[in-house]
Amino acid sequence: MDATTAPHHIPPEMSQYGEENHIFEIMQNMLEQLLIHQPKDPILFMINHLQLDNDNVPKIVILGPPASGKTTIAMWLCKHLNSNLLTVENLIAKEFSSLAAAARKHYQINKRVPSMQLVRLIQDRVSEEDCVRRGWILDGIPETREQALMIQTVGITPRHVIVLSAPDTVLIERNLGKRIDPQTGEIYHTTFDWPSESEIQDRLIVPVGISELETAGKLLEYHRNIVRIFPSYPKILKVISADQPCVDVFYQALTYVQTNHRSNAPFTPRVLLCGPMGSGKSLQAALLAQKYSLVNVCCGQLLKEAVADKSKFGEVIQPFFEKDMAVPDSLIMKVLSERLNQQDCIQKGWVLHGFPRDLDQALMMDSLGYKPNRVFFLNVPFDSVLERLTLRRTDPITGERYHLMYKPPPTTEIQDRLLQNPKDAEEHVKLKMDLFYRNAAELEEFYGQALTINGDQDPYTVFEYIESGIINPLPQKVP
Amino acid sequence: VAPTWTDRTSPAMGTYTYTYTSRPRPPPCQRRRYRDSLLQPAEEPIRYGNIMYDRRVIRGNTYALQMAPLSGQPDPLEIQRQHQAKRRALARKRAQEQLRPHTPEPVEGRQHVDVQTELYLEEIADRTIEVDMECQTDAFLDRPPTPLFIPAKTGKDVATQILEGELFDFDLEVKPMLEVLVGKTIEQSLLEVMEEEELANLQASQYAYEELRNVELAEVQRLEEQERRHQEEKERRKQQQWEVVHKHNETAQKIAAQVFAQRYLADLLPSVFDSLRDGGYFYDPVQRDIEIGFLPWLMNEVDKTMEYSMVGRAVLDMLIREVVDKRLMMYEHKEDERLSFRPGDRLSGPGAVRDPLVGPEIQGQSTSQSQGPPPDRESLPPLDGRYLEKLSSQERRLLEEEEDEQREMRKSSGKEEPSQ
Repeated sequence: MDATTAPHHIPPEMSQYGEENHIFEIMQNMLEQLLIHQPKDPILFMINHLQLDNDNVPKIVILGPPASGKTTIAMWLCKHLNSNLLTVENLIAKEFSSLAAAARKHYQINKRVPSMQLVRLIQDRVSEEDCVRRGWILDGIPETREQALMIQTVGITPRHVIVLSAPDTVLIERNLGKRIDPQTGEIYHTTFDWPSESEIQDRLIVPVGISELETAGKLLEYHRNIVRIFPSYPKILKVISADQPCVDVFYQALTYVQTNHRSNAPFTPRVLLCGPMGSGKSLQAALLAQKYSLVNVCCGQLLKEAVADKSKFGEVIQPFFEKDMAVPDSLIMKVLSERLNQQDCIQKGWVLHGFPRDLDQALMMDSLGYKPNRVFFLNVPFDSVLERLTLRRTDPITGERYHLMYKPPPTTEIQDRLLQNPKDAEEHVKLKMDLFYRNAAELEEFYGQALTINGDQDPYTVFEYIESGIINPLPQKVP
Repeated sequence: VAPTWTDRTSPAMGTYTYTYTSRPRPPPCQRRRYRDSLLQPAEEPIRYGNIMYDRRVIRGNTYALQMAPLSGQPDPLEIQRQHQAKRRALARKRAQEQLRPHTPEPVEGRQHVDVQTELYLEEIADRTIEVDMECQTDAFLDRPPTPLFIPAKTGKDVATQILEGELFDFDLEVKPMLEVLVGKTIEQSLLEVMEEEELANLQASQYAYEELRNVELAEVQRLEEQERRHQEEKERRKQQQWEVVHKHNETAQKIAAQVFAQRYLADLLPSVFDSLRDGGYFYDPVQRDIEIGFLPWLMNEVDKTMEYSMVGRAVLDMLIREVVDKRLMMYEHKEDERLSFRPGDRLSGPGAVRDPLVGPEIQGQSTSQSQGPPPDRESLPPLDGRYLEKLSSQERRLLEEEEDEQREMRKSSGKEEPSQ
């Protein structure tokens, strides 16, 4: 066997680097562009594409029935994400383009633009510098399946498609209150979105085509077309109900647009669970380890194992245990790094809980190179914690563990002889909780990408939340 | 020192600057000093001036202050002023002359004459008396040499003489001296020879030593060379080894990287193709062709077929209406004829019956036209055969006369309104 097939020691930094910099997604995007454009000089094309670095730029399509507020949402998203808005109106209003002039003539006669011209206009606009650099948001395009197919054939694929939906009656009523500001082009509503400045109020005009009959006609056509557009964007479509206040719709749209879709990049989860005592960290860690065959690393357990094994670390740690003092950070770090450097941890990934308890420990762990790629904070209110912990009991004879509320002992005989672990006493629990909350704020700041989960629910619900947090890619934050 | 008007700039410009200089002087002191007549020579009265209170010093801003405007006009003014100043000076001098005491003017009838009052009269003539005197020396002679100074002889002269053999015997006396001389000389020469020999010996031993030293040096150099070569060899070998190890490491890293990249991107191609397919760029050409090419054509054809059937129904409706209209007209005509023969009360019965008959007939006709399409649509399958037969017979005619039928339809709808 030659050098390439011998077993290799692949340093874990490589996979960390790949994950952090999303190498897989970058390569995927580059290959897609290569296949779409098929340039004569592939290397130069790839260099240019990588230098553009516009993989994460917003590419959004917003569809919806008339009066659902899509232009409003599109404009707000545009402002928020600093991107370009493309609508039929501003595509045909483009100057210096014979194509746009022809489209304008057609629009004036027929009130609609032929699909071929529209798609070519879109193609020209999307390949301009500012769309390449800052992304684009298509408002109300594609209108029909034919347009959707043509756009896809040309190679323009959005990353997120938002479809607003609301009952027809609501829309017809809402459309009657629509008003347009002729100067800025912004849309206002007599009931839901009335401008505060009186000068804007004075110059608002009623747009054409908002009577009930016309709205009903447009709705009919919309419903006919939208059903056939759905299957064109299978995995990136999201339907948002437009029957809620504007701000809610916008918030939902923004959160969706900021999520990345799942990619096929290889991913070894390195999960960190943080939370006060009694929040269920060890339970969740055990479930995760079982389902995804991760290595469950519990810090306290590790130390106890070291002492029990009477290893050289154990001998150093034992006096601390005897005196009931906290083991110093450096010692813990050494034991932890020994465990995390083992092959099974590197290959399968790990779930850590009970370790960094404050900022110094977190910094130490980070400096040694053990960076978790998912951090979860389990929030449980104090009363729930008390309830969970102070009602724990153990049967001294059988060794069975009971909980007076969630898993009560079957007979009163057993109940009489139950004993409580002194570590579960209320004062002790309060002390530990205070300790945790003092350091929690700093830890949350340090792990900026942490996900907070409500731990006060059924354990399997919490487990599902954690699972979705691990499997879905981390949302990108707006710069 | 008095202030002066100095022309800093040329008179052509017309600007004059004023300067004030004064020598430093001790302030006037009132108390008497020793020899103050010596220290304070007579000078003009001290014009003491504090420039703060001097009226000639310009106060305020001087930006707009121009001594004289730029044009040449004030120059004559200046010249005039100067002329005036000169005239004034002359006048002053004249005034002063006048003030000097003169002899009074002669009285009336008298004349003043100048007279000499000296002891001896002097002739005052214009021409002064001159006398010329001359003298001359001989031509230059050489200075004669200074005569020798021979002092007069003083003192007394005395003489004496020594004969041979009186003082000493030369041969006897000379021996020891000779001995010493010769002996010293020989000793000296012996010493010199010995010195020379010693020097020669030293030099010989030095040569020998140098030889030895050279040999040793050569040996040392050889050893050094050897050592240096060894060192170099060692360094080279170490370098080689290091390079080999380094290359080995690098290769291991590269292989690890390559293996990792291969494993990492193993899923890349299927992923890319999947995403392109989801994005719609890769589509099933047969499906797309059916969707774009076949289905619209099919829908078109179905549209046409449906239109044919609708048109056929419309024509049928019109035929029925025409027939019924004609029958109605014939019937009314007959009724009118009958009515003209028979009495009126029998009319009421059949007439009353007929009117509701006619009424609902016309209404039924109009409703049949509007209801024609809906019930036909529901009952399309069973009636289809019949209509298709009608269609096949009337198809060609329909195609040619479609516009006529449309016009007739409009006419029939026009007929409906007045008939209703």
